[in-house]
Amino acid sequence: MARSWRNFFRKTEEPEQENVQAAVEAEAPDSTADVPTAEEVQARRSPTPQATKVLEEENVQEPEALPESDAVEEASDEVASAEEQESRSGGWFGRLRTGLKRSRESVVGQLNSAIAEFRDTDDEEFWERVEEILISSDVGVKTTGKLVGELEQEALERNITSGEQLRGLMVEHAERMLEGPVELDVSHKPTVILMVGVNGTGKTTTIGKLVNFLPGKAMLAAGDTFRAAAIEQLQRWGERVNAPVIARERGADSAAVAHDAVEAAKREGADVLLIDTAGRLHTKVNLMAELEKVRRVIERQLPGAPHEVLLTVDATTGQNGLRQAKMFNEVVSLTGIILTKLDGTAKGGIALAIANEIGVPIKLISVGEQVGDLHPFDAREFAEALFGEL
Amino acid sequence: MFDTLGDRLNSALDGVRGSGNLTEDGVKKVTREIRLALLEADVNYGVVKEFVSNVRERATGAEVSKALSPGQQVVKIVNEELASLMGGTAHKLSFASRPPTVVMLAGLNGHGKTTTAGKLALFVRKLGKTPYLVACDTYRPAAIEQLQQIGKELSVPVYTEGTEAKPENIAERGVKKAREEGYDFVIVDTAGRQVLDMDMMQEIKRVRSATKPHNVLLVLDVVTGQNAVDVAKAFQEYADFDGMVLTKLDGDARGGAALSVVSVTERPVRFASEGEKMSEFDYFYPDRMAGRILGMGDVMSLIEKAEAQVDKKEAEAQSKKLMSGKFTFEDFLQQMQMIKKMGPLSSLIGMIPGMNKQLQSANLSDLDDKALGRVEAMITSMTVEERRNAKLLQNPSRARRIARGSGSTQQDVQKLVKQFGEMQKMMRQMGKGGVPKRMPRMPFR
Repeated sequence: MARSWRNFFRKTEEPEQENVQAAVEAEAPDSTADVPTAEEVQARRSPTPQATKVLEEENVQEPEALPESDAVEEASDEVASAEEQESRSGGWFGRLRTGLKRSRESVVGQLNSAIAEFRDTDDEEFWERVEEILISSDVGVKTTGKLVGELEQEALERNITSGEQLRGLMVEHAERMLEGPVELDVSHKPTVILMVGVNGTGKTTTIGKLVNFLPGKAMLAAGDTFRAAAIEQLQRWGERVNAPVIARERGADSAAVAHDAVEAAKREGADVLLIDTAGRLHTKVNLMAELEKVRRVIERQLPGAPHEVLLTVDATTGQNGLRQAKMFNEVVSLTGIILTKLDGTAKGGIALAIANEIGVPIKLISVGEQVGDLHPFDAREFAEALFGEL
Repeated sequence: MFDTLGDRLNSALDGVRGSGNLTEDGVKKVTREIRLALLEADVNYGVVKEFVSNVRERATGAEVSKALSPGQQVVKIVNEELASLMGGTAHKLSFASRPPTVVMLAGLNGHGKTTTAGKLALFVRKLGKTPYLVACDTYRPAAIEQLQQIGKELSVPVYTEGTEAKPENIAERGVKKAREEGYDFVIVDTAGRQVLDMDMMQEIKRVRSATKPHNVLLVLDVVTGQNAVDVAKAFQEYADFDGMVLTKLDGDARGGAALSVVSVTERPVRFASEGEKMSEFDYFYPDRMAGRILGMGDVMSLIEKAEAQVDKKEAEAQSKKLMSGKFTFEDFLQQMQMIKKMGPLSSLIGMIPGMNKQLQSANLSDLDDKALGRVEAMITSMTVEERRNAKLLQNPSRARRIARGSGSTQQDVQKLVKQFGEMQKMMRQMGKGGVPKRMPRMPFR
């Protein structure tokens, strides 16, 4: 479900996705002096366990990239407790798997036994079980129908008789459906990222986590001027990472806050500006119009911005997630989805439905409350968690 | 909320309505549609299976009643099954014989516990109670400030101890303080948690035993998907909740999660929360909700909602006037002000029987209070004469003056006058007992 932060941030303006990774890597050696990599920045700001793990795994030969001593001193209690948690349960993915295992035992158990007994593609009961596992993961009737149809056809064509082969095929198909450009475009100066979503899906919390990983100088904007204490919540996150927070009083026009923030980001040379917005139900026409205005104001102050418009979707959401993604996409043209609260019993199958029916790529997932619980999305791992052998 | 599910069931039942006999084939066809509709509405897979087989069994074996057509019979069965699944009648709050009554809120992150705490406080105050809030979310940044700001808005005291103390200790001392100071309804707000986080689940258990609440409410977002069942089971185990608050009902989620949770935990939905205003909170009426699922409207809720805000005699006089077509802009203004007190227009209109479908085709769902405000500005810019006699407004110079006075355009004013005329005509028609074929555009858009 997650990949490392390496190459997650696209810093060149080249639009071709496939060349980006290579381009960044090729550029890296001569630009390290002034442009630190995401991991380095992250390590400097807040040495989360995830960052350390990444560095250990991938940069063993570069010990100088490890967090400096003053950074270690900055380590907050939160990080320490996250570390504790990590070591206790064998990493976040292990935790997630353990979690999923409990809630999915019955369904996955059924699938496993079905796979073990699988003989041929005419096995109606088998396909019904596949359907059940998908629907029980919130994939939805329509996308489930499509996926099962595809699978059945390919299994027949390739004359698959082994259950394990079939499982591989299932993962492959789900992966293909989920794949999309994952990188965040941070190649502009300033890059403006607009965070939108329904109430309680985790916009402010996600901003608070994401800011730890962003390269360069970050700035936050408290665009949620509606909910009680939303401004304070963002300011608290800003203090933790020492990022300035542009805010007005509660009840102010959030477009005005966005305006101030873009101006401040330009004036003070910020690299990335993260703009929070109030949670809103996609059915509230006046609130959606307000959001469109926020986007318009940003664009007017900085042509081409916002460069990323990210929708937070709660992984526990059922089929209404589709409506959310559709309506927000229509109003503010989303560039990506962030799937939050994947640490529960939720399987987040709605991601598959959104990828299939709306076509907005999933870019990030959040699997817990700690900063290190935010991860770039990995289609392969997500698909494996859906069907994988537990 | 359940509008779309209602439509699906209706279309599934359309075929049956027409037919003379309840054939096994017909029932099968209908139950297949019901199954799909329920799954798309996020009702849990297992619950759907059970529901569908119940309906199938009852419908196929049903004696053919003389009073009902076969179609009506299936509608009745589905309605009854849904109602029994949702838990029958409304479950009102009972208060402790020795105050204070203590209510603990529990739930996942972001499902609306803190907002619910505020809404519940206002709700019980209207019932004559003196609410007291206790802030135990020591985790989310600024969660305590959020409750404090809500308390300030409502003038309800909020007990806090910052983020250092343990939630169970805060809760215990909070309840004690409320008792000492003579408050009779304590609402304990807790942190959002994920059910697989065992430390957090143990914590809610400790908060529960420290406060010995009379009611524990699980706050559940209506958009919740298939895992609602796992979530509810876990909270039942650790927090032993005895009722639910269903939140964000003003969205377009079909709300199947509510069906799932009630049928698995046998705990009723007690409250419905639907909007960003603190007053948009009420008891949940499962029997009415089932009717709403089937597109039968929810007249009872509408009537009660209106009664709470409107003087009854005045309302009767108004409706007489309305139906006779002698309705003026003055009356309209008055009504708008009453409506504003009741909550968002779209939710009110959804409660009128037969309006759901028309509402969708007329796309009236985008009615909003801002648009109401614009209409209000236009009407208040009219002279008394003009409000009483809309015909005067056909004079362009009058329309121009009103446009200037209200900050709108002349076209806006003319559009309002025209639509108002159409509405008068329609009301007259309805007063005579006929329902117009096509709803005219409402003037407030």
